[in-house]
Amino acid sequence: MAPRSVTSVSISEDPQVYEDTHVHAVYEEIAPHFSSTRYKPWPVIAAFLSSLPAGWIGLDSGTGNGKYLPLPSENPSRVWTIGLDRSLNLLKIARNAGGAAREVVWANVLDHPWREGIFDYAISIATIHHLATHERRKQAVQRLLQAVSPTHGRILIYVWAVEQDDLSKREIPVEQSTELSLGKDVFVPWVLSSSDKTQADNQVFNRYYHMFAKGELTQLVSEAAEEMGLRVGPKSEYSVSCSGIEFKQNGWERSNYYVELHCWAQ
Amino acid sequence: MVRLITHNLLACHAKGCTSNNFPLQFQNVQIELKEAEFNPTFLETFMPKLEWKALVDSAKEASATISRYILGNTSLPLEQPEMLDEEFLKNLHHVLLEIHVEEGIMICPNCKHNYPISNGIPNMLLAEHEIG
Repeated sequence: MAPRSVTSVSISEDPQVYEDTHVHAVYEEIAPHFSSTRYKPWPVIAAFLSSLPAGWIGLDSGTGNGKYLPLPSENPSRVWTIGLDRSLNLLKIARNAGGAAREVVWANVLDHPWREGIFDYAISIATIHHLATHERRKQAVQRLLQAVSPTHGRILIYVWAVEQDDLSKREIPVEQSTELSLGKDVFVPWVLSSSDKTQADNQVFNRYYHMFAKGELTQLVSEAAEEMGLRVGPKSEYSVSCSGIEFKQNGWERSNYYVELHCWAQ
Repeated sequence: MVRLITHNLLACHAKGCTSNNFPLQFQNVQIELKEAEFNPTFLETFMPKLEWKALVDSAKEASATISRYILGNTSLPLEQPEMLDEEFLKNLHHVLLEIHVEEGIMICPNCKHNYPISNGIPNMLLAEHEIG
């Protein structure tokens, strides 16, 4: 397949309307095709889910087709993950992910329809990069922090990176914005092939992404936490009674940045 | 699906609705029973997080609806027991994980916001003016 170009965009309208048009409506259209290409769990995420204590419950915020709901594959009933997504058509797939009945909820990742701090863990995989402003991305992180236990909650977040894998099929425009540390707003085309294989009949849907710059994800998470009055760093650095988060992992894998956070209180 | 495990976690999130917003009350529900794998370790660890009264009440609402189906025992003690024997854990397993609300409405006890359930998927979306 020829490399697909990613084009730069700038957002001038209301971000919620923008996301409705360039994210939510697109996923509703491409859901079955999208889902058929998203079946392999990424190793860091599978390892995270296998590392959780038995009996924990979690939220997959932006679950898509629910491919992480059946994990850990070696012992699926050890933990219990509930999927949340804005796309009803993806949820219709997710509710039977892995061939069993799954719990899914139709909501926006900026919503918080839960008892406060009720989950033991939360994952947000390839989701926050679909939010159209820094403020909204920060709010999405805060929703994850609110969803998990302030004393032992664990969170794993994956977002798309400006720094792309060599194996990626995508070409990123090189004219860089002056402030690369702020990431890059782009459209990524999704090509729905028509049955007769003639290119003219292919339908192209442009999905909005915010590609994260190096360091931007940890910055965003730290800002989100500090706004909620949380300390950022290991528990041992603080002697007073307080709550905080610690980065346990912080890396880049296959064109994505990811962080794993642990909440603590003393 | 909305099983009672999920119902026990959900709360109303409409603008300004911050107290007495749990548990959402079921109305006009249609229920399916589906067997799930019994995992006592999961149940024992998860139990302290349950809002017990909410679970007992919603199990009663559900069992009133499903009395016409063949069903397992949905009777749970009014207080969480200290001794967790196998019979109790099997009842808890059934109530939490095997009763699926496929259709119906969940109503906030405080602001009366309606959250519809259709094809087993609860719609927790709010209109723009309702978002807090």
